[in-house]
Amino acid sequence: MLIVIIVVLVIIVLIPILMYNSLVGKKNQVENVFATIDALLKKRYDLIPNLVETVKTYMKHEKSLLTDITELRAKATSGQLSDNDRIAVENKMTKALGGIMVAVENYPDLKANQNFLQLQGSMNEIEEQISAARRAYNATVTIYNNAIEMFPTNIMASMMNYKRKNVFEIPEEERKNVDVGKMFKS
Amino acid sequence: MKTLNDLREFYLKTLRPDLQILEGRRREIIKKLAFIGVPSLVILALSLAYVLINELKVWYVLVPFFFLLFIFFIAYYFLTRKFIVDFKGIVIQRIVGFIDEKLRYRQDGYITVPEFKESKIFKHRIDRYKGDDLVWGKLGATVIKFSEVHAEYKTESRDSKGNKQTHWHTIFKGLFYMADFNKHIIGETVVLPDTAERLFGRLGKKLQSLNKPRGHLIHLEDPEFEKNFAVYGDDQVQARYILSTSLMKRIMDFKKKTDKDIYLSFRGTKVYIAIRFTKDLFEPKIFRTLLDFKVIQEYFEDLTLAYAIVEDLNLNTRIWGKR
Repeated sequence: MLIVIIVVLVIIVLIPILMYNSLVGKKNQVENVFATIDALLKKRYDLIPNLVETVKTYMKHEKSLLTDITELRAKATSGQLSDNDRIAVENKMTKALGGIMVAVENYPDLKANQNFLQLQGSMNEIEEQISAARRAYNATVTIYNNAIEMFPTNIMASMMNYKRKNVFEIPEEERKNVDVGKMFKS
Repeated sequence: MKTLNDLREFYLKTLRPDLQILEGRRREIIKKLAFIGVPSLVILALSLAYVLINELKVWYVLVPFFFLLFIFFIAYYFLTRKFIVDFKGIVIQRIVGFIDEKLRYRQDGYITVPEFKESKIFKHRIDRYKGDDLVWGKLGATVIKFSEVHAEYKTESRDSKGNKQTHWHTIFKGLFYMADFNKHIIGETVVLPDTAERLFGRLGKKLQSLNKPRGHLIHLEDPEFEKNFAVYGDDQVQARYILSTSLMKRIMDFKKKTDKDIYLSFRGTKVYIAIRFTKDLFEPKIFRTLLDFKVIQEYFEDLTLAYAIVEDLNLNTRIWGKR
């Protein structure tokens, strides 16, 4: 009889511990992937000055686009934006970069430039990495949200004051980005 | 990429004359086999009659039976050996060249054991490894290499009399490809057919196989892909970088097209693809006529899978910084 009581007590103590740890693990995983996105975005910023320099001399008519990008970069790296604002700036950046890549089609000299081609490859790689990181983030956030909202872990979650997180909305331009490959194939 | 009509033309203009010569030789072989086979059957029938008439134990007839079977197999082996080599040297070689003149073929070449193991798709210890029909070359910007592979492991047991018995189990039999991948790969990502993995997962824990544990199971967004494949990798983000939404769809379409179990792995600079086949590929059918276009078509379709891999998986699109 004593053994039964002990076993029941152990279970009652164990279960909350397991739930607590599981929730913490999931929260940390979300932060982990968000940090990866951050790192990739920084990489993207590092490529931009190089891009602007390479493109500047060729694309004389695209000055406004280039200025926009430089300004956006300054804003994003200033470190003074809230999370939501950052996302907004990121999306604008993606749009502007996309605009440049499309405009490049009108400058065959630039298209053939080795420097530019290499840069283009790196930019595509970064964009694809960012896209992958966003997808990973969404998956991780979904696992976290599920744990917070489903029974019985939702009880523990509300005790820990864990709130639902938002998934990254991939803007329409981004989805088209993956097909940028088709543009360059021709 | 060559179409069936191109093949038909090639078949009529170039292949047919050689096929006719080979067909002649094939018929000779059949005649010789019949020369041995028919009298063997007669002897067997007589033995059976003798055994029955003299009311001996019926299994006595197994002695001449196995003896004759043995003779038959020896004859078959020696008669067909040169024929198979010549057949492959002429027919398979020509079809490969027809598909793309930059492709090369070696009948006795194969993907080596280290290369096979490097893919980390099949982690079982290998006790016996055979391969043949190696094809390699560059399709567009992609270097690709493939061959037939048959990898097995053995288990030993003792039967009721205490004799050691060896059982052979197939790890993989089919076509194994290695190709340059069009993105920089970090870490390793493995894509396995879902049912097979689940089976191995449970068996792997029960049996003492050398199945080392794989990386994390990664769940991806494409529901159809998820249903058919299980993805293991050491990094979530890298796995998704490689398995973009478009590549997942392409792999899924390729699987539907071939209707076979497909295994993929992305490691180093390459993508490894294993397609399971139950039949022996690229072997001449001794007991069927060679002059049927469908026979040539089958070889062609199995060989152009390589082309399909490069095209369908879009490996020639090199926009991500890897040339």
